[in-house]
Amino acid sequence: MFYRRAGIRHTRYQDERQIWPLPFDRRLALLIFLLAIFAPLLIDRLYLVSYLLPWVIWSTAALGLNFLMGGAGQIHLGYGAVIAIGAYASVHMVRAGLPFELAMIGGGLLSAAVGMIFGATALRVKGLYLAMATLAMQYIVDFVIIQFPAISGGTQATLQVPRVSFLGVEVTGDLAPYYVALLICLLVTLFMLNLRRSSFGRALAAVREKDYAAAVIGVNTFRYKLLAFWVSSFIGGVVGSVLAVCYYRAISPDQFHLDLSIQLVAMVIVGGLGSVLGSFFGAALILFAPILLNQFFGFAASELGMTISTDLRSHVPLMLYGAMIVGFLLWEPLGLAKIYANLRNYFLVWPFRHARQ
Amino acid sequence: MTLLALNNIEVVYDSVFLAVKGVSIEVPEGGLVALLGANGAGKSTILKSISGLLKPERGAVSHGQITFEGTDILALDPPERVRRGLVHVLEGRRVFEHLTPEENLLAATSMHGDRSEVAGLVEQMFQLFPRLAERNKSKAGYLSGGEQQMLAIGRALMTKPKLILLDEPSLGLAPFLVDEIFDTIRRINAEQNTAVLLVEQNAVAALDVAQSAYLIEQGRIVMSGTADVLKSNPDIQQAYLGGGSGVDYHAVKHYRRRKRWLA
Repeated sequence: MFYRRAGIRHTRYQDERQIWPLPFDRRLALLIFLLAIFAPLLIDRLYLVSYLLPWVIWSTAALGLNFLMGGAGQIHLGYGAVIAIGAYASVHMVRAGLPFELAMIGGGLLSAAVGMIFGATALRVKGLYLAMATLAMQYIVDFVIIQFPAISGGTQATLQVPRVSFLGVEVTGDLAPYYVALLICLLVTLFMLNLRRSSFGRALAAVREKDYAAAVIGVNTFRYKLLAFWVSSFIGGVVGSVLAVCYYRAISPDQFHLDLSIQLVAMVIVGGLGSVLGSFFGAALILFAPILLNQFFGFAASELGMTISTDLRSHVPLMLYGAMIVGFLLWEPLGLAKIYANLRNYFLVWPFRHARQ
Repeated sequence: MTLLALNNIEVVYDSVFLAVKGVSIEVPEGGLVALLGANGAGKSTILKSISGLLKPERGAVSHGQITFEGTDILALDPPERVRRGLVHVLEGRRVFEHLTPEENLLAATSMHGDRSEVAGLVEQMFQLFPRLAERNKSKAGYLSGGEQQMLAIGRALMTKPKLILLDEPSLGLAPFLVDEIFDTIRRINAEQNTAVLLVEQNAVAALDVAQSAYLIEQGRIVMSGTADVLKSNPDIQQAYLGGGSGVDYHAVKHYRRRKRWLA
């Protein structure tokens, strides 16, 4: 129906290899891009700063983690630490007088270097053991940041981010941070979309599916596992600097603890492993579900006159939020992106029920 | 008496991809029926729909009935179907690699309460496959391909099935071993009166042991009958049995006969 495929005939190979071969998908992507560009005109500033901006930033982070978990099949429970390294490194660089553009890349490079060292354990261990190794990274980085006053400024200290400018535009107010975050998100999204069309992406997919089968067809698993950690950590570091400069504006160690890593893993899994779209869906669910549920209960309490004790009001949304994640994963283990894909498939073959593969 | 009947089943993967359509198969009690067909024809899919293993592969029977001893089993989960007497030997063997052959056999006895009965069954398997008794010290992962196939079949027999579904038992085995495996299948069928539904690429071997057979192409049954009838069919001979010996190739038409079925 919407995604009409019948009648669309590609006559050149490159047409078929486009990111979105179907016109409907192309138009949808363009529409969403335009909506994101003109969002400041369309929605209230409050919503822009407190909903859209974090969504864009956390989606970028989820994309970076999805690159590693969905693309290369390596689990990472310390992605919050990767983001922390990028955030602290870039803030220190900015404070030392480096321009923000360079500090962003510098933060990414430092994250990538540290992430790769811990990622090197992936060459020896897999699955649960790798989860433990990356968990160790989370704790070690947390410890180092807290214990070295030169980095964090002390246990309780927050590090202010000085005024910076990005490509000549001062990153202050509501608009500039949003557009900086959107630009980074766009770049990462384009990279992820093109990944599966490149030999790099195919090599990673081979490593993910079965690393010794990849080795036996000439994919250097040593190199690609390290590269996967490098690239993913680089994205994490850049997101960290964007997060610090555009959103938090003052960073402290407790913003990057284990619960952040777990939330990021949840975003990736609920959204859909290996799916670009899924990272956005997952980030949206993890970010907004608790807020919406909270507001719903607040509304129920105040407007509908339901008597809900404060204890219950603070806990029930969290329980429902947990139940929602479990429910989505039971309904569709491959995540929200797969639910969308099922719907799309349904309309692709509509009015028929199924097609021959 | 019909033991297993598939009535007009349709299997869809991932809600949209149609793999099998309009397939009806009957296996009589104590019968030995073969399913033949090329790669990707849908043979394994049919076996999985019978044993209930479609779900992990995101497939579902979207149409039709599967009855075993007269009752519909589509709603039952795989372990329940095994308890009813229907067991599936998976393609590619899938033995438990870190267990010894005997432990592998014992793993399949959770439905038998009586220990002496289990011991008797293990003894019976070791008599059926003496090679397994010889290799009982080593882990199943170190067994050869043929031994692992014997173990997989023996493991299935431990459940005392009325019907055993065999998916390509000759996969990756030397011709000599293929003969041995098929001999065993025939013995199981004859001596224990266990019905067998056999999926096989090796059509010669399969038609030698089977009483009747179905030919599947692109998810549909295109031919069925007793093994002798199928064996003498010229299309089968040309396409599956490597027949046509003594054919004058100058006279052969340049299209394949089997294409006509689908027209």
